[in-house]
Amino acid sequence: MQEKDLIPVLERIQKKYGYLPLQALKSVARELGVPAVQVYGAATFFKQFRLNPPGKYQIEVCMGTACYMAGGQVALDSFERRLKIGVGETTPDGEFSLERVACVGCCNLAPVAVVDNVVEKNVTPTRVDGILLSLGLSEENKENKENSNAQGK
Amino acid sequence: MSKKVTITIDGRRISAHEGEKLLWVALDSGIYIPHLCAIRGQDRPPAGCRLCFVEVGGRLGPVTACTEPIREGMVVRTRTPRVDRLVETAFRLLLSDHRLDCKNCTKNGRCELQVIARERGLGPDRDPLQPLPAKTYIDESPRTFVFDPGRCVLCGRCVWVDQQVAGVGAIGFSGRGIRRRVTTFGDSNLAESPCTECGLCVEVCPVGALFFKLPAKKTKGDS
Amino acid sequence: MRRENREREAGVMAVPSAEKFYAMLRSAAVAGLRILDEVPVIRIGTATCGIAAGALLVRDTFRDELNKRGIEARVMEVGCMGHCYAEPMVIITKPGFPSLCYNNVDEELAIHLVDDFLARGDPCYEFAMAALEPNDFFPTFQDFPRGIYEEKMILGDCGLIDPQEIDHFLARDGYLALCKALQTESNQVLQEIKKANLRGRGGAGFPAGEKWDMARKAPGEIKFVICNGDEGDPGAFMDRNILESNPHLVIEGMIICAYCVGASRGFLYIRSEYRQAVCRMERALEQAREKGLLGERILGSNFSFNLEIFTAAGAFVCGEGTALVKSMEGKMGIPEHRPPELAESGYLGKPTVLNNVKTFCYVPPIILRGARWFRDVGTPESPGTAVFALAGKISAPGLVEVPMGTTLRQLIDDVGGGVPHGKRFKAVQIGGPSGGCLPEQALDIPIDFDSLLGAGAMMGSGGIIVLDEDDCMVRIARFFLNFTQEESCGKCTFCRLGTRHMFRILDDIIRGKGEMGQLETLRRLAEDIKIGSLCNLGKTAPNPVLTTLRYFFDEYRAHISEKRCPALSCPELTVYFIEPKRCSKLCNVCIGSCPVEAIFTRDDGLKAIDQEKCVKCDNCLKACPPDYSAVIKLSPLSLLDERLGKNK
Ligand SMILES: Cc1cc2nc3c(=O)[nH]c(=O)nc-3n(C[C@H](O)[C@H](O)[C@H](O)COP(=O)(O)O)c2cc1C
Ligand code: SF4
Ligand code: SF4
Ligand code: FES
Repeated sequence: MQEKDLIPVLERIQKKYGYLPLQALKSVARELGVPAVQVYGAATFFKQFRLNPPGKYQIEVCMGTACYMAGGQVALDSFERRLKIGVGETTPDGEFSLERVACVGCCNLAPVAVVDNVVEKNVTPTRVDGILLSLGLSEENKENKENSNAQGK
Repeated sequence: MSKKVTITIDGRRISAHEGEKLLWVALDSGIYIPHLCAIRGQDRPPAGCRLCFVEVGGRLGPVTACTEPIREGMVVRTRTPRVDRLVETAFRLLLSDHRLDCKNCTKNGRCELQVIARERGLGPDRDPLQPLPAKTYIDESPRTFVFDPGRCVLCGRCVWVDQQVAGVGAIGFSGRGIRRRVTTFGDSNLAESPCTECGLCVEVCPVGALFFKLPAKKTKGDS
Repeated sequence: MRRENREREAGVMAVPSAEKFYAMLRSAAVAGLRILDEVPVIRIGTATCGIAAGALLVRDTFRDELNKRGIEARVMEVGCMGHCYAEPMVIITKPGFPSLCYNNVDEELAIHLVDDFLARGDPCYEFAMAALEPNDFFPTFQDFPRGIYEEKMILGDCGLIDPQEIDHFLARDGYLALCKALQTESNQVLQEIKKANLRGRGGAGFPAGEKWDMARKAPGEIKFVICNGDEGDPGAFMDRNILESNPHLVIEGMIICAYCVGASRGFLYIRSEYRQAVCRMERALEQAREKGLLGERILGSNFSFNLEIFTAAGAFVCGEGTALVKSMEGKMGIPEHRPPELAESGYLGKPTVLNNVKTFCYVPPIILRGARWFRDVGTPESPGTAVFALAGKISAPGLVEVPMGTTLRQLIDDVGGGVPHGKRFKAVQIGGPSGGCLPEQALDIPIDFDSLLGAGAMMGSGGIIVLDEDDCMVRIARFFLNFTQEESCGKCTFCRLGTRHMFRILDDIIRGKGEMGQLETLRRLAEDIKIGSLCNLGKTAPNPVLTTLRYFFDEYRAHISEKRCPALSCPELTVYFIEPKRCSKLCNVCIGSCPVEAIFTRDDGLKAIDQEKCVKCDNCLKACPPDYSAVIKLSPLSLLDERLGKNK
């Protein structure tokens, strides 16, 4: 392995674990013979990489120009409101994580969200509720989550 | 080395080696050009601070002096309305992201930002830019020095000497855009990093972001 | 490597066997595909756009239904024809009928088509969209308004051939240009590209031939060719479409380029989000290698070239050449000062040619048909065609290829079918984050590299977003500045901090917290960032702001001095209001539609909105039946009090 293989190596690790554990970054640095902080720098620079485990269900809201103009922000707001997390975060129970992505290339279906690699079209706030319901975020669940959150604090 | 050439900077004729970077030629002749990021001997200067703009005859727009190799007959002006405006904007941008508290800063009087302000007559007063939220975390973990990111101008000098001169690799850049910063692996304390406390980074820091703890430990030549 | 060098010195000699080699490959491909003339073929567009619209389900339905009925037919997965509004699209070719294309096919229509068309013989014209070849029964795509303007130089095969089967490409004379090039002296091939004045399609329009020449002349034995498939513009997807729909065309272009400059290795730099494109490209590379079209001694000649994929980890700035190369070397994607140009010192410090996906696609047809053919299309300064991704408020979004010099008006009104729903056109955003917003009066500008620059916009990536009266120009400027300030690499002062400040000011303005004085700061910053930034990301980042300030100053003023959003789009300056005169009292849909239970029934039976709870999601406005249209938006906020006072 050489220094120039860094990005492909990190991609492979992320594919395997879903994220980049710090420990793995350290071994990669040792392996490549570069300072660990350089590997850390690359891992924090690129959007694809995440340093924390993702949720079981990954929700990516498209923020391409067309989706944004067609209400992508509203969709994102709705996900944030329902899941009570911000972009780049994972729900405390590890079920859902929320991301924004650039154009997924289906501008005519705008606004879209990619839920577990499946494109959902015309994601209105109502559709957001529908999506989350189908993934098991029930009303009851929501309450529980609120309670456990409150207790956690 | 390469042959000597003669260039004109602000009307003064100066002779130096062809291909040398204009910034150093000017500074060595006592002509001030604002600069933060460049380090002598760099093969490819980062050209990130965007303060060293000058105008060169025959070139359309202002160019950065740290990247400009000198050529025979080059005519350079370090002060033109365009250059002054760019330098002022870059300076004010940097200041908007710099926790201003000169009174309590160990670099007070030797800070490069103060030098620029003095040379170009720039005060902090007329600034129309809202200060950006300052970083508040301060790393006091090393025995001999302190790292205060709130004052860092991201010139990258410390990273360069750490990796290229000291060969340690304790610090580096992380993040992108406004989140770019100087940090250690995993954002740990410097004490938990491979840092050997050689102090080279502290010596090159142009501002008060890296400073020695004991006044007695000040270094001799801070070139 | 030494071999190549000798070759270059000797001036590559004619290789008689290449032609025979190719002829064999091609006739085998043609023979293998003969079956397609005998049985019905069902082509289903399964590029990302098609899949998103449900093409895989349609594909499976066709397969199952054909199986069930025991009908012999081929179901073929193809790329995208560019009619994104019509996905999933299906083309059925049945002997005895013209090839017919059906739009928006779902399971039901698929079953219907199998029953009526494939099993019996009724082509269901009522569902067809167009025929592929001229015939007596049904109009073709050429009869569409966009057909009149479209001229396909590189998209011609997209959506018709199976991108996963190299034989389809070969059968359509694919790799013939490579065969021709390998039998010509490499400098002569390069001169043809120069004569064609092929300008880079990645945004800046730098002449490809000159770039290649620079790399060719650069000293050193090891040289690289890289295809820039990073496509970071948030509103563009044509490169992905090409990579998914016709990967071999890109490969062929790259090999010819490598032959011209004497490169032995190449990379396709594709963003990892483009999984489908990476997958198809991998398969295409494998097949090209198997056939001897890639790798050692291509087509039996003594030219060798290896090509692999580098999946990019996602950073808009990595589309910039020096940053792209840095990221390939295992570092952060941070641009560097130029010179040196990549052609002198690029990947691993070696001479490197970097071109856009589309730029490479033009190479084979130019070699095959000559520079003259290319120059006959387009304008003298910008010859050839341009590929655009049309999106936004437009009737027929999708991918189009038109000659350079077509006006924006033709592109939007004729090719794209204009603004739908009877709304008024407001602006067109062209070139993504580095481009600008042009108003109605600029629509007669011909689209080419130089004219757009004059208007303050840029060809950029080729993403075109049409905006109508409901879109707020300050908001769109803020959207792009938010994008650039997030995507800035952060190295240089102007871009890192300057775009951040610009974003903050724009954010203040759309929240009604702006002051007129800030506009001057904004303009000054914009001008300085344009000059002072290190790379083109920073240098072009202010364009969306500068153009909107230039053409839509009134909107900025309304936001600041009247706290009013003229497009009724900025949530902070707009309220939703239920017009009592129009509300039917008897219907409850708005109440059900509200995700936060902000709508209630007043004592008098009318509905009303609790402004404290309202999150301005637009649901109720959409839900209210058109007969009533009782939900309206008001801006500035003070209008609400006026209304409430009046209606009491
Ligand atoms: C911030 C930035 C992003 C860019 N993104 C792309 C891109 O996604 N695709 C591309 O082909 N060129 C992109 N470019 C342009 C490339 O740097 C380069 O000019 C181009 O790939 C050269 O190929 P061409 O001459 O064929 O256009 C970008 C440039 C900048 C400054
Ligand atoms: S700590 Fe000092 S030397 Fe290091 S980047 Fe910041 S300002 Fe430059
Ligand atoms: S202009 Fe922006 S992206 Fe380019 S080098 Fe400067 S900070 Fe990085
Ligand atoms: S010293 Fe030249 S850009 Fe910093």
